[in-house]
Amino acid sequence: MTSTEHGAAPTTLRPENLHEARDAVLDTPGSLGITGAGTAADWAGRLRDVDAVLDLSGLHGIIAHNPGDMTVSVHAGTPLRDLQAELAEHGQHVSLDAARIADGATVGGLVATADAGPSALVHGGMRDLVIGTTTLLADGTVARSGGHVIKNVAGYDLAKLMHGSYGTLGALVEVVLRLHPTPKATGTVALACPLAEAAGHASRVLESPLEPTALEWISGERSTSEQGRLLVRIESTEAALPARMERVAALLGAGAETTSDDVWDVHVSLVRGSGDGAVLRIGARPSRLPGLLAGLPCTTVTAGLGTGVATVTVPGTAVAEAHEAVHAVGGTSVLRRRPAGLDAPAWGPPPSALAVLNAVKAQFDPDGRFGPGRFDPWEIP
Amino acid sequence: MSLDPRAHAAFAAAVGAENIVDDPVRRRAYECDGLTGYRVVPDMVLLPRTAEEVAASVRVCHEHGIPFVARGAGTGLSGGALPVADGVVISLARLKRVLEVDPENRRAVVEPGVTNLEITGAAASHGLYYAPDPSSQQVCTIGGNVAENSGGAHCLKYGFTTNHVLSVEVVLPDGTLVTLGGDSPEQQGPDLRGVFLGSEGTLGITTKIVVRLLRTPETVRTLLADFPSVGEAGDVVSDIVAAGIVPAAVEMMDTLAIEAAEEAVHAGYTLGTPAALVVELDGPVEECDDQFEQVKVICDKHGCTRLHIAGSPEERAAIWRGRKAAFAAVGRISPDYFVQDGVVPRTRLAEVLGRIADMGSEAGIRVANVFHAGDGNLHPLVLYSAAAGETERAEKLSGQIAELCVELGGSLSGEHGIGTDKACSMPKMFSEDDLAVMQRVRTAFDADGICNPGKVLPTPRLCGERPGKYSPHPLEESGVIERL
Repeated sequence: MTSTEHGAAPTTLRPENLHEARDAVLDTPGSLGITGAGTAADWAGRLRDVDAVLDLSGLHGIIAHNPGDMTVSVHAGTPLRDLQAELAEHGQHVSLDAARIADGATVGGLVATADAGPSALVHGGMRDLVIGTTTLLADGTVARSGGHVIKNVAGYDLAKLMHGSYGTLGALVEVVLRLHPTPKATGTVALACPLAEAAGHASRVLESPLEPTALEWISGERSTSEQGRLLVRIESTEAALPARMERVAALLGAGAETTSDDVWDVHVSLVRGSGDGAVLRIGARPSRLPGLLAGLPCTTVTAGLGTGVATVTVPGTAVAEAHEAVHAVGGTSVLRRRPAGLDAPAWGPPPSALAVLNAVKAQFDPDGRFGPGRFDPWEIP
Repeated sequence: MSLDPRAHAAFAAAVGAENIVDDPVRRRAYECDGLTGYRVVPDMVLLPRTAEEVAASVRVCHEHGIPFVARGAGTGLSGGALPVADGVVISLARLKRVLEVDPENRRAVVEPGVTNLEITGAAASHGLYYAPDPSSQQVCTIGGNVAENSGGAHCLKYGFTTNHVLSVEVVLPDGTLVTLGGDSPEQQGPDLRGVFLGSEGTLGITTKIVVRLLRTPETVRTLLADFPSVGEAGDVVSDIVAAGIVPAAVEMMDTLAIEAAEEAVHAGYTLGTPAALVVELDGPVEECDDQFEQVKVICDKHGCTRLHIAGSPEERAAIWRGRKAAFAAVGRISPDYFVQDGVVPRTRLAEVLGRIADMGSEAGIRVANVFHAGDGNLHPLVLYSAAAGETERAEKLSGQIAELCVELGGSLSGEHGIGTDKACSMPKMFSEDDLAVMQRVRTAFDADGICNPGKVLPTPRLCGERPGKYSPHPLEESGVIERL
């Protein structure tokens, strides 16, 4: 049954299967905000006032896991954390380590927000892991694309269109994922150093054949005046890990040491942000990232030195100028957490293909029902 | 020449009269791609030299309502670059510069006419390479790879073109020039780059591509192993996967494919063996050695009758020469053949091969099998003689094999694309609603329907569809989907 909470606006619709979700979309007039676990409610443009919220967290659970094929299909409201726990019994996992997985983020939500973590250096993001989707559109149409096999070029890949769409084009209801074997052994080498120095070390690691799974610099937890650290994650077999770790440490030189994998919890907390600052997600050419970040008034930083993806905390008053600075070096930026009352733009300048984004929106949601405001201040209806 | 003279003049202004091919004999060189069974002579061929000239050409098409088809090296196997009647072909052959190799950021900026292998050639001195490696990589262009989302033997571990392209500069079907994607994996809104990649030239023409480059692996280990049956070779692949090993490549060939390849290139495969596996691992030396030992043990466990380990780069190259020669080599054992491309869930490989063998016997047609065993991507080679009047039977069998893949939960195409060849089979894999939504994507990019029309999505004119009564979709019958 669809449960409908009366009283406080907007209405929340919580379907438990595809049929109910479709009925909810068809039977509810007006605009809809789409949500999963709500772990990224603050991200991107602020959702304008909507008539109802479509909560898809009721669509959860594994539909089919095929260990031999290394694929799994799930209802989109399934928390990835729960899915990982089930897959772990088979020695498999979804190769995504986005910070908010620990908060219960759903598979559909992670796709819709194009989220990814440090291991994107090797495994990419959800766009690289999703092999099939079922999407519910604003007019009730249910569309599938992709399939259940890893290699597949039949038809347009609607999963890509949903990736990063923030619930403005359709509601993901089912997702098929490719899986990877859980690494037999994982280790991290850390080196305390400032960002500029870390960038030089990172270049040498990337030039080497050591194949790190993640290569991140993190600032001190409370302020960038504390000493930061370069983190190099290695995934391997039990037999081969020690030798590979030694080679990384030798390459980094004096001060490099093996550290507990718990250090990645610090990374997670920095990505989340804390205090009253605004969190910005930034992407830029890796070589430009250290200089860019040095010029921003960041209080905390995680910087992917191989990917060019950084997450920073800045004062709310600095958001607009930060967007400009990122844009000036050809990068992209989006607001991920806004202090209460902050009225800063969520996005930097729009991409050159804004007209295509608008045309896609007009085709998929001509009445502008889904997720109004998510791409403000761009002019998408 | 049915082109409006005003359009002709506008094209001449766009690219220069000397860069227009309208001589009927020369135009015929563009009448088909690698799928030679379909041929249409274009009204005109344009040979722009820059992105601006491509954009100007497309603007003329847009203004005059003239359909256009982009073309790279013409090696595609699904008729994706088949010209359209009363349309023009826009060749990207002259946009062939490597604009930049940036070792620090491990990327290269190239024009669409650069071949796949030339990218690695330009990057090799920095210890870098471009990972996707379709068998045609010496001649196929990166622009075509972008259109087809090309794979290759190593995509099980390293992924497809879509995983290795950071951004594309695109001339949209109205002639505007935009960039999809950016300098990092971070996106600004929906992943339009990802939608464009693999859209088979139906959403625009790419004029510049930024590709990721990977560091050349420290170690590569390759073995060739013979097995008493395809089933046992398949079990080896399952056990490798179950052991948590992600091989760089796992390729399988059957008796007939081996016979053809050996006759062509003498690569050292065993004649008469029912199945041969090529397994390649790469990566840091410690891990690669550790896992390679495990693979050898797994091969022994499943009755391996001969294990040949490449002892040198030359020996590895010989093994790959045999595998990559297989397509063309079947020409030595059969006057004509179709190359099919389908995908099944890997665990159903033995089953699909059994079914293909039965279907071949029934049709009286031989089928040789070469496939990417790690990801379930089959390339059955349907052997026939046109002179003996077998064409129609062979074509039917080939189509049935692709549709069988869908029935077993797979896909119509793993890497060759839908193009002209399989557009009419798309309803076997997707529902009317699915296809209608794909059409919405197309309309968003190409409102006038002039960009490579007739490809990928079925049309009544193309497929002779007649509205009929409801019948359950194959995926519904197998319980994969449900109809609302």
